[in-house]
Amino acid sequence: MENLLNYSLADFHHNDNPDVLAPPADFDTWMADPKISYCFSFFEQQLLRAPRSTTEILSNLDHQKRQVINLTSYNYLGLSSHPEVIQAARAALDQYGLGASGAPLLSGTFDLHIRFAKQLAEFKQKEDCLLFSSGLGGNLGTIQGILRKGDVFILDEKCHKSLVDGGTLAGAKMLFFEHNNPDSLEQMLEKSRGKRKLVAVEGVYSMDGDLVKLPEVVAACERHQAGLYLDEAHSTLMFGPHGRGVAEHFGLEHKVGVSFGTLSKSFGGVGGFICSNARLIRYLKCYASSYHFSCAPAPAIVAGMMKALEVATRDSSLRDKLWENTAYLKRRLLDLNLDLGGTESQVIPIIIGSSGEKLFQMATEIQKRGLFLQPVDFPAVPAHARRFRISVSAQLTEAEMDEACNIIEDVIVKGLKN
Amino acid sequence: MDRDKVLGVIKKYILENVEDLKESDLDPTRSLKDFGANSLDIIEVVSCSMRELNIKIPRSELAEIKTIDELVNKFMENQSR
Repeated sequence: MENLLNYSLADFHHNDNPDVLAPPADFDTWMADPKISYCFSFFEQQLLRAPRSTTEILSNLDHQKRQVINLTSYNYLGLSSHPEVIQAARAALDQYGLGASGAPLLSGTFDLHIRFAKQLAEFKQKEDCLLFSSGLGGNLGTIQGILRKGDVFILDEKCHKSLVDGGTLAGAKMLFFEHNNPDSLEQMLEKSRGKRKLVAVEGVYSMDGDLVKLPEVVAACERHQAGLYLDEAHSTLMFGPHGRGVAEHFGLEHKVGVSFGTLSKSFGGVGGFICSNARLIRYLKCYASSYHFSCAPAPAIVAGMMKALEVATRDSSLRDKLWENTAYLKRRLLDLNLDLGGTESQVIPIIIGSSGEKLFQMATEIQKRGLFLQPVDFPAVPAHARRFRISVSAQLTEAEMDEACNIIEDVIVKGLKN
Repeated sequence: MDRDKVLGVIKKYILENVEDLKESDLDPTRSLKDFGANSLDIIEVVSCSMRELNIKIPRSELAEIKTIDELVNKFMENQSR
């Protein structure tokens, strides 16, 4: 293998090593290269405290413990460490113990699960809700439960891996349309005439921070009698006048067939959920394997997330603060003439370009200066648009954002000029 | 290895991976997407072809390729390195 640095995780999926329990031989060669292993050292750095806007990590770069300003965690509203949330989880831990000790249909359903699912269904203005132990499991199980061989699954090309894997598992024919391009969606729907078909889009796209063009997608789905699946992983509790998500933002909640949300981002816990009509939820309880065959979510986590839902929706203060912080940070970054792509949300990319080497040099310097901002490399993003990705939090103070921008100016702005 | 053999291998995997396609429909001046291949199909075609031809090209260098002919050219260049 020449030019090891040109290779990426996109190149080692196929494996023809005769030893089925070994990775491909060239994967081992690649990973053993010091430059490649250095890039991988950015993964799995240990957080030593809660993922607040300032936290502490054990850096893999120099093995130092370091206090950092955190622009990477998905703790958008700061709810993972909110005192009321912690107190609710602690009380439930005392009452219910650690785990659910069973799959939901047999013995894993607690009164908390029923109450939380009802609250989420009411919040999303749907008839019923299904809770999953993981966000990935929610998308995967729902798609696998809805679609069958012979059906067509039409996805925006930037949809999350959990949706793609759900389609693969279902055995459905998968068609990808160009990102946020209604004409391309229309072509795929035309190709699927006469078939059962489901269209999946995301409220906020996770690598670019742009919003789905929901009015156009809804119109296309109605023209072609296609079901609409909306993944609101990065938008629930934040978008819309009541925080119900991007569908509320566009005034189109009643047009969404299945609304998916994760519980690990703005909710600050872990898990996923879908809200839809009661008949579909009843069917999926029997046919979504990641629900049916997984242990139910831990009761203390559910209690914490019920409190998180209450705190986030009793008034608009947390999301108001999030949007205030997002506007402030975006303005400061635009003043530095950085390329923020097409962001319209609290997910803000800083696009660096095609040089992976430059990306990781900058990442090293940024993190050693005390800013926890992670590099995002190909194939997660296109090779010509490698980037850093900021997740804004409502917890950030102006002083933290100013210091983050100072570091970004010293490292990224200056680095891009050289 | 000649160009026809490389094209033959790629065509074989396109026909294996893309539904409802006949060899006579395959026009190498067009994109795989024109024949109904999705991005997962394309990954499969490229990976299987490279494995059979015993060449390895980083995926990041294939992003700009638009047509089947361009893919054949890229494979040919790699062999002659």
